[in-house]
Amino acid sequence: MDNLTYENLAWAVLIGHFLIIGIGGLITVLAKSLIRALVGLIATLFGVAGLFFLMAAPFIGLMQLLIYVGAVSVLIFFAIMLTDAWSGGEESRQRPRRKLAFAVLGAVAPAIFLGTAALRTAPPSALVPKETGVSELGSFLMESYILPFEIISLLLTVAMAGAVVLGFERRNKK
Amino acid sequence: MSVMTMYHLVAIFLLCLGIFGIVYRRTLVGIVLGIELMLNGAGLSIMASTQLTPAPNELGQVGALLVMGIAAAEATLLLAILLVVFKRFQSVDAEKLVTLHD
Repeated sequence: MDNLTYENLAWAVLIGHFLIIGIGGLITVLAKSLIRALVGLIATLFGVAGLFFLMAAPFIGLMQLLIYVGAVSVLIFFAIMLTDAWSGGEESRQRPRRKLAFAVLGAVAPAIFLGTAALRTAPPSALVPKETGVSELGSFLMESYILPFEIISLLLTVAMAGAVVLGFERRNKK
Repeated sequence: MSVMTMYHLVAIFLLCLGIFGIVYRRTLVGIVLGIELMLNGAGLSIMASTQLTPAPNELGQVGALLVMGIAAAEATLLLAILLVVFKRFQSVDAEKLVTLHD
C-alpha cells in the first residue's frame, strides 16, 4: 500500500474512535438504567484509550485500560450494586423539564467559550507524533518530577485509608 | 482544522457531557459517571497538547498518568462515601439528601 492509503486508514480510525466516544458518552448521560450508563462509560474509556494509542503513547493507553476499565469501572459497578441504584429506581422517573434546560445550559456555556478558544488560538500541530519510550518516561518521573510522583502516592494511600475508616465507622456506631 | 484541535474538541465534548450528566442525573452514582467523563476529557486534552506540539512528550504522559491516579483515588473514596450515605438515608437520590427541613 502506498502512503495515501495509510493516511486514509488513519483518518478512518480517528473518526471511528470519535464516534465511539460520542455515542458512549451520550449513553452514559442519557441511559435510563445505570448499568447501561456504566457500559456507555466503558465504551468511552475504550475510545479514549484508542486515541492514546493513536497519539503514539501505548503505555498510557494500556494504563488507561488497566486503571479505568479494570479498576474504576468495577468500583462504580460495586457502588451501583451496593446502593440499589439500578433501573426501576430514581433514575428512571420522569424529570421536570426545567432540569433538562438547566443541564443543557450548563453544558453549552463551556462548550461555546472553550470551543471558540480552542478553534481560534490553536497552534500548528504535528500530524504524526513521536513515540516516547517507557524508560525515558520513568527517568522523567524519577528525576525532575519526583515530587508529584510522591504526592500522588501519598494521595492514594490517604484515599485508601479514608475509605477503610469510613467503612469501619459505620459499623462501630451500631 | 489541525489534528490537535480535533482532539481538543473531543475533550471539550467530554467535559460538557460530564457537566450535563452532573446536573441531569438524579442519583449520586450517575453524578460519579459524569465526573469520570470530565476527568477523561482532561487527560485527553493534556495528552494531545504535548504529543502533537513541540512540547516535551513526557510532560503530557506523566500528566495523564497523574490524572488517572487522582481518578482512582477519587473513585475509591466516592464508593466509601456512597456506602455511608446509603446507610444513613436509605437512598442515593441527590434530592433526598436533605437534613435541614421539618
